Amino acid sequence: MNSNFSCKTCASADKKLETFISNLSVDTSHHRMEGQSIKCGFGLQGICCRLCSNGPCRITPDGPKGVCGATADTIVARNFLRAVSAGSGCYIHIVENTALLLKKTAANKGAIKGKIALAKLAEIFEVNETDEHVCAEKIADLVLADLYKPDYIKMELVEKMAYKPRFDRWKELGILPGGAKSEVFAGVVKTSTNLNSDPVDMYLNCLKLGISTGLYGLTLTNLLNDVMLGEPSIRLAPVGLRVIDTDYINIMITGHQHSMFAYLQERLIQEDVIEKAKAVGAKGFKLVGCTCVGQDLQLRGEHYKDVFNGHAGNNFTSEAILATGAIDAVLSEFNCTLPGIEPICDELKIKQICLDDVSKKANAEMKPFVFEEKESQSNEIIASVIEAYQARRGVVALNLDAEHGNDDTLTGVSEGSLKSFLGGTWKPLIDLIVKGEIKGIAGVVGCSSLTAGGHDVLTVNLVKELIAKDILVLSAGCSSGGLENVGLMSPQAASLAGPKLRAVCESLGIPPVLNFGPCLAIGRLELVATELAEAIGVDLPQLPLVLSAPQWLEEQALADGAFGLALGLPLHLGLPPFVTGSSVAVQVFTQDMLNLTGGQLIIDDNAQSAAQTLDSIIEKKRQELNI
Amino acid sequence: MKRIIIDREKCDGCLNCNIACISAHEEGSNFYTVNLQSPDAETRNFIKFDVGKGYLPIFCRHCDEPECVLSCMSGALEKDPVSGHVQYDENKCAACYMCVMNCPFGVLKPDKKNRTKVIKCDFCDDKPDGPSCVKACPKQAIVVKEVNL
Amino acid sequence: MKIVIIGASAAGISAAKTIKVSEPETEVVIISKEDSVHSRCMLHKFLGHQRDAKGISFIADDFFETAGITWLNNTTVISLDPDKKTVTTHDNQTISYDKLLIATGAAYFIPPIPGLRESKNVYGFRDLNDAKLLDRECQTAKNAVVIGAGLVGMDAAVALLERGLNVTVIEMTKDVMSLQLDHQAARAYQQLFEEAGAEFILEDKVVSVDVNDVGRGTTIHLASGKAVPADVIVIAAGVRPAFNFTQGSGIKTNHAILVGDDLKTNLKDIYAAGDVTGIAGIWPNAMKQGRVAAINMLGEKLLYEDRYALKNTVNFYGLTTLSLGNINPEPEENCEILIREDRHNYQKVVLKNGIVLGVIMQGDIGGTGFWQYLIKNKIDISGKNKDVFSLSFADFYDLDQQTGEYKYAV
Repeated sequence: MNSNFSCKTCASADKKLETFISNLSVDTSHHRMEGQSIKCGFGLQGICCRLCSNGPCRITPDGPKGVCGATADTIVARNFLRAVSAGSGCYIHIVENTALLLKKTAANKGAIKGKIALAKLAEIFEVNETDEHVCAEKIADLVLADLYKPDYIKMELVEKMAYKPRFDRWKELGILPGGAKSEVFAGVVKTSTNLNSDPVDMYLNCLKLGISTGLYGLTLTNLLNDVMLGEPSIRLAPVGLRVIDTDYINIMITGHQHSMFAYLQERLIQEDVIEKAKAVGAKGFKLVGCTCVGQDLQLRGEHYKDVFNGHAGNNFTSEAILATGAIDAVLSEFNCTLPGIEPICDELKIKQICLDDVSKKANAEMKPFVFEEKESQSNEIIASVIEAYQARRGVVALNLDAEHGNDDTLTGVSEGSLKSFLGGTWKPLIDLIVKGEIKGIAGVVGCSSLTAGGHDVLTVNLVKELIAKDILVLSAGCSSGGLENVGLMSPQAASLAGPKLRAVCESLGIPPVLNFGPCLAIGRLELVATELAEAIGVDLPQLPLVLSAPQWLEEQALADGAFGLALGLPLHLGLPPFVTGSSVAVQVFTQDMLNLTGGQLIIDDNAQSAAQTLDSIIEKKRQELNI
Repeated sequence: MKRIIIDREKCDGCLNCNIACISAHEEGSNFYTVNLQSPDAETRNFIKFDVGKGYLPIFCRHCDEPECVLSCMSGALEKDPVSGHVQYDENKCAACYMCVMNCPFGVLKPDKKNRTKVIKCDFCDDKPDGPSCVKACPKQAIVVKEVNL
Repeated sequence: MKIVIIGASAAGISAAKTIKVSEPETEVVIISKEDSVHSRCMLHKFLGHQRDAKGISFIADDFFETAGITWLNNTTVISLDPDKKTVTTHDNQTISYDKLLIATGAAYFIPPIPGLRESKNVYGFRDLNDAKLLDRECQTAKNAVVIGAGLVGMDAAVALLERGLNVTVIEMTKDVMSLQLDHQAARAYQQLFEEAGAEFILEDKVVSVDVNDVGRGTTIHLASGKAVPADVIVIAAGVRPAFNFTQGSGIKTNHAILVGDDLKTNLKDIYAAGDVTGIAGIWPNAMKQGRVAAINMLGEKLLYEDRYALKNTVNFYGLTTLSLGNINPEPEENCEILIREDRHNYQKVVLKNGIVLGVIMQGDIGGTGFWQYLIKNKIDISGKNKDVFSLSFADFYDLDQQTGEYKYAV
């Protein structure tokens, strides 16, 4: 016997992490998979309804309808739309906060670091304003005005942002969204007890939520953040548990709202604060990236070399990062902040502070971010983190893994930085695609999960299969956290690619898997796709481009997926989104969607066959484009 | 012989055993794809509920002295001398349902689609990894044990 | 030890199997007048051409060889000498035994109606030979008449309909299967048969049969004055235990061979099981009796207690019915009769002082096996405080923790 918490941990594509976690003496999500390994079949199929006290009703051979008369088709659609509404709500919450922050930053003449992003938005929104602060404020106002519209008034920026052929199709289908917050409200109402029972109506509603989620929650959040925090630029960076430096006071960040840290991260590297750290024996402060907000910092890392140590890992690495014992505080403002970190924080005396009550953790101190109080708030946070550092360092054992991760992950890829890298035009990439040097593009996005083989297992295996078929992979979300830690985003990963893609990567010195950062950056992938389509002169569904969220985890991912389908892209998921109990759902997602938007859902938890399917779709699209 | 031993206190009535059973008898299906609304969807195990006692799992016991086998006039039901399990041969069965009548525990039932066969636990054909229902039980309310009779 | 079994149906085969499983070295000889072992309950499948002779067997092809049993088929026992402990066969073999089991079953009975017994085209529907003879008739016959609408008559009718004959069923009582069903349950079957082309003449009696010059019955005359044309006639008016060969042996009989709870007759080392005992003319009981008799013959003591015979299942045209106990009580019995029905089900429970006396479950009979236990064991259900139709084994649920077997908590 040893002190390990349990010998039953799930597999990880990241073998070093798998070993690290299996040797931990604390309970993690990787340990808990065993106890949750048996799943409820009704839940998996989406045919359990808990909307009224006559329930829970489950669809069985002896009970083919709920008490109210709801069929499997209705129950599945309701559950699905509820999930998409919730997921959309999450992203809309993020863009709302970001826009509010931009508005206040601009009004207070705060720093505008992303001048290119500002100009781009001004152009799209047709804001003619020379003063950058006034311009930024107007942009924020336009976004907020749209978000706060009722559901019966269409959002105005949709037409400005969306690719024209897409916009026209959406209009035809009647799925142009009204005010994004109201649409979430409508989705919730529609799916309440004994309201909507029409599955097709509900799935169209999902597409509508997909559009508002994608254009606002994803694309605009990125661009607004870029204005405040600076645009991404391509560079090599260290990733994994190795980024943790015990000489510093370490703060792990989790969430999705980078701009909430903007002031604090500036403060942490100011002389007076560094002095405070030195006074207690540390060299200063470091932010350790985790989850998507870590990816966001990594993406813009060029601007934060002093305070950001690197991205340590994705959502299901967070417990391991804390278990190193070298983290002194967790600052969280959104998901994916696992409840499972709480007992670890307690045990290892790690201070938990929440900046947004939507993600209030049970044992965390609540410090809702208030723009006007950011100076005092930051000082208080710094003080309590120092206090935690003093209380725990030297007392809590360290358990580091300097071997984990790598030092040469290519980061900072965005629609802007990639285009600059290509020389300010998409032509070189288009030429490579036309010539077949790059067969096509796969956006492997979304989350990390512990199912479908284990932590990042399907994601990593699928990506390996895709690049071997000369398909360039772009990643955004926790998927990239896994892909970078196993080295697929390092230039030498080119050796794993097919001969043609390998040659391209080697000549450019890039990996075959490009890291766009957080899940929010799925919006950046949409921008890339749109710009490519525009340059070629085709609609999105015609591009040799596929999406995959192999290890989609949660409701936000489903809203992202709805966006992908609205864009008309083939979307692969490793596991079904709890809809297979309905033949209508299966028909709509896997067949009818082709006629509606051009999109299509592909469900496959086998990396090889999924890659084959995606490859054949790309081949087919190439043929249709005569390339 | 191996028998599914029931700890009814542990049963939460999730009916995963039902789904597992139906899936095990729908070739190529899994928990996501099993068609619970198919006319062929039949479960061989049952969870009853009693206000006083809670959930009561009713599973074929593959009885030591199986009444169903004794009542079978076609030879379709036989107790396997090696495994001890009562196996059913659909091709021999004449659908007289004497076995349904004779099972004191109400485990057997006619197929609901045509009433030409009996729906009965086959212990998942004694697969090495055991019956599907047992694997699907999140509470271990049913476990396979060797019993000496 | 040498055990001789006369009869190769449920009781005989079940006894032979039991003997060979517990004492493989015991010599077992089965004598049967047929050359096949088949299940009587499946004869209609043979006549209906859904199965061949092998398809209605209820034992494995190599049953006798594998079990090491000597089978004298096509052999009829004509006499029994309990003193010498031998039986004699129609071909003059004398076979000795240490123990003897009489499992000769029952034979159909042709009522003494003018013309009926004389007609060459009158058949019972009792064994494979009957079915084969009927099968031959079906090749030319157009009109079939079935006399008696009990289970056997209905079995014959369903097969004859399957063969495309015009089938008329004549029944004395006012309903088909009147022993198993009540009026409503019977009507449901009658309708299904009528939809399949059958004609029923109920509450009527055959009074005579016209016989033509080649000895075949042609017209059946009924008490009502009706006349029914017939090319082939099936008689299904009941059976009688078959024990003619025991005449003069001193065996005690009363329309059946009398046995004790150990299934032993009054004669030393002679046992009887199955229909010939008149205890319970139904397959499961015959199987059980065969088993009990075998165990007693092997010297162990086991009593046959399951004398409950008022039970049956019916499955015609996909309509299934379970029938148990007293289902048509007389008014003076003062029973409580509960009925529940819907589009697919007709259910009837007969209760007296909290004890279930009988049930009919027509439609969904899944999981209804527990009713037999309640009726047989006279379980008082009045304490259950529950709608009687929602009862199931769960209401009597108990487990043996050691073996995992179910028990009744009553």
